[in-house]
Amino acid sequence: MKLLTHNMLTSHVKGVTKGYPLLIKATEVKVNEVDFNPQFVSRMIPKLEWSALVQAADELGQRQDLPGELVPEYENNEEFLKKVHRVLLEVEVIEGCLRCPESGREFPISRGIPNMLLSEDEV
Amino acid sequence: MMEEAASQLERDHVHSVYDKIAPYFNDSRYKAWPKVQQFLLDLQPGSIVADIGCGNGKYLHINKEVFKLGCDVCRPLVDFAWSQGHEVQMCDGLHLPYRDGCFDAVLSIAVIHHLSTKERRIRAIKEMARTLQVGGRIMIYVWAMEQKRRKFEKQDIFVPWNPNPHSPSGFTSEHAKPRRRATAQSVSEAIDNADKHRKVRSTSSVADEEEDLTCATPQQSTQRLWFFSRSLDSVFDFGSLAISRSSSRDLSTLSSPTGENEGNQASKRGRGRRLIKQVSSFFLSPPVIGSEEDVFDSVTDLHKGQNDPGCNNNNNGTENQSVSVSLTRECGSLALPDLVPFQKEHLKQSGEEREGGLQGKEQQESTMSPQGSEGQVEGSCLRYYHVFREGELAELIENHVEELHVKQTYFDHANWCVVAEKVQLWKI
Repeated sequence: MKLLTHNMLTSHVKGVTKGYPLLIKATEVKVNEVDFNPQFVSRMIPKLEWSALVQAADELGQRQDLPGELVPEYENNEEFLKKVHRVLLEVEVIEGCLRCPESGREFPISRGIPNMLLSEDEV
Repeated sequence: MMEEAASQLERDHVHSVYDKIAPYFNDSRYKAWPKVQQFLLDLQPGSIVADIGCGNGKYLHINKEVFKLGCDVCRPLVDFAWSQGHEVQMCDGLHLPYRDGCFDAVLSIAVIHHLSTKERRIRAIKEMARTLQVGGRIMIYVWAMEQKRRKFEKQDIFVPWNPNPHSPSGFTSEHAKPRRRATAQSVSEAIDNADKHRKVRSTSSVADEEEDLTCATPQQSTQRLWFFSRSLDSVFDFGSLAISRSSSRDLSTLSSPTGENEGNQASKRGRGRRLIKQVSSFFLSPPVIGSEEDVFDSVTDLHKGQNDPGCNNNNNGTENQSVSVSLTRECGSLALPDLVPFQKEHLKQSGEEREGGLQGKEQQESTMSPQGSEGQVEGSCLRYYHVFREGELAELIENHVEELHVKQTYFDHANWCVVAEKVQLWKI
């Protein structure tokens, strides 16, 4: 699971209103090399919940010097975009779980795949 | 209760079937449909797209300028998609784990026809609409009732999955897609281990399945390869639940596709699900098929067929090929969602079974549960479909999903297709 994906994921346990962002507990993390496409990253940024990204990167110990707030005019700031690229697309959780911040329910991540299936009593 | 029956049906005749047949999906015949491909290629660079019900991820590699993620309930298929380098999750279409308005586009290709009630199909569409950004678009493909060569006579059907639909001969070797991750994926291994000279076809593509249904081999030429059912929506109209005696006799012919041993296990299992089974058995009840005369004719055929040496017990014939060939040969004489080879066993017991239509159903269900251990696909893979009439999908959206506006509707490769746009709803 990449952090770009994580940014979209939310807890959908019945009754939960503050299920985002999911807290990450990782037991295995990989950092891959992914081709850098500055335009792609730049266009992704407005779609992100920035603070959720920073928090996730932090939880994985991968934040490095990613700023807590978006820098102005980031579109042309290649250094900044590279940092964003790294946390969004190169950091990957292979094993661990995602925890609902409200209910505590844990969704396992195994072999890179988060299992978000709910059981009958959770829907 | 309808909800339970619906999800039970989908577990048995969608989820567990795909779990079993997943290894066979990953072959070279799986191509992306051009119009879906074009929809993806037309997206603005930097878009985020979700393929809901992505299966083995065949659409997830299209268009490097957009971020794609996929999800599905079928673990083996999702594993395979991941092995190809895609971002995928396990989830179910009625409860999407994505925040509101986070996608620029959504795909739902050959998915919602597996939902067994109208209400669930609407909910699935609404869920997808929820995750779409205003201005974002969804493309939905569902199997059409009206096909080029035929029209399905009913909308709610079971389609047996045939690993080898065209002919027993004429195999070509398959090449598994290259793995882009180092981790060994069990599904890829299954492909590697399978007989490489086997031509395996997945039947989830209707265009290909059309050919399957008309049968390539002479012996199959008059066979019908789908079975009718009753819509769950109509089962809960209690007038229709007053099933006649003749139909409970028909229920008794829903045989156990497994041998006696498993029959015993089945009767121990599932007693608690009696009510759901009862409902489901109405759902599978023969009287909806053509006329009653057809059903009785089929039963008579079975009596004749009892001594037919061609009737192989499924437990004996262990090759997928012979199972599928005998299944398709036998099933053609029968309009029931059933496995003929075991009918003769069941008919012997028919005295007890008469009142025990439920037991028959239990035994049938025991076959439907995953038996992946041998790595073989039992002939019992019947997938449930609700095939759509012309205009039905667009109407469903127009009448029930006000947050979507239909932009295009068309017919493509035996599917009805809709592209719709998410709109802002103004609430006063």
